[in-house]
Amino acid sequence: MPLARSQMMAVSDPFAHASDEDLLLAHASGDPRAAGALTQRVLPRVLAQALRMLANRAEAEDVAQDAMLRLWRIAPDWRRGEAQVTTWLYRVVANLCTDRLRKRRHVAMDEIAEPLDSAPSVAAQMQTRARLRALSDALAQLPERQAQAVALRHLEGLSNPQIAEIMDISVASVESLTARGKRALSAIMAGRRAELGYDDDEPT
Amino acid sequence: MTMTNPPDDMLSDLFAQARKLTPMPDDALIARVLADAARPLPVRHPQPSVWAQLRAMIGGWPALGGLATATVAGIWIGIAPPPLVADYAAALLDEPVSLGLSPEEFMIAGEFSDG
Repeated sequence: MPLARSQMMAVSDPFAHASDEDLLLAHASGDPRAAGALTQRVLPRVLAQALRMLANRAEAEDVAQDAMLRLWRIAPDWRRGEAQVTTWLYRVVANLCTDRLRKRRHVAMDEIAEPLDSAPSVAAQMQTRARLRALSDALAQLPERQAQAVALRHLEGLSNPQIAEIMDISVASVESLTARGKRALSAIMAGRRAELGYDDDEPT
Repeated sequence: MTMTNPPDDMLSDLFAQARKLTPMPDDALIARVLADAARPLPVRHPQPSVWAQLRAMIGGWPALGGLATATVAGIWIGIAPPPLVADYAAALLDEPVSLGLSPEEFMIAGEFSDG
């Protein structure tokens, strides 16, 4: 639907100097253009966070839509200055993703595509996909708070104070969670090293 | 001095590859999100009470007022029938008639046959 994007681009200008929160509150008070502008701003990051944790486009899109739906729902009750919209979204997406990962624990992992013997670029793409899926499956085996902290630190590249605010815990707790989570991930991934092509292929 | 062991190298590489993912939302996803935004918020109406539902079914307060008046009048006529009612009933049934409010009494005293 090309209409959606053009609509979105067209409405972005009037809000050039508005904060995310301004847009959310404008949406809540009935401004029909605000949702498009806010979506354009935050949806790419929301989708990226979900895709990095889940390594599955369809699932990531569902999570992104769900997170945005929750944002629209909370808009009328949003209290100015209490939290940042981006912080709130990081938290909601992290929670939705660990919910999905929990359900994945009991599902067989044999849906990972084997690299096909075709053009090198395609084979490399397949390998990258398999590696990221393996990382996501390893995250699924971690306690949820560890998985969230590791993902926010290493997949999103956020600072420990930012993560502390998102997860509503102390910086010391973030450090502890990420350290333990990363150790556990190492242990899980060590067993898949050869399968993922890390023995013969130098990481770039 | 620090030594990085192989699993950590692998993890660092995996993290870096994941961070490189910067998907752009396609038009279909944007349309889904904006459709949700355009949908009116679910308004949380409290479930109307049984009494309110009954009132609405009957026809609201005006109907209830009429119903109450008729009920009171009916009870009053039952308790203290004006002489005209008793006379009319006697004339109609050709017998003296008394009506009571208790189940035992709530039958027409005396026997009568059709016609």
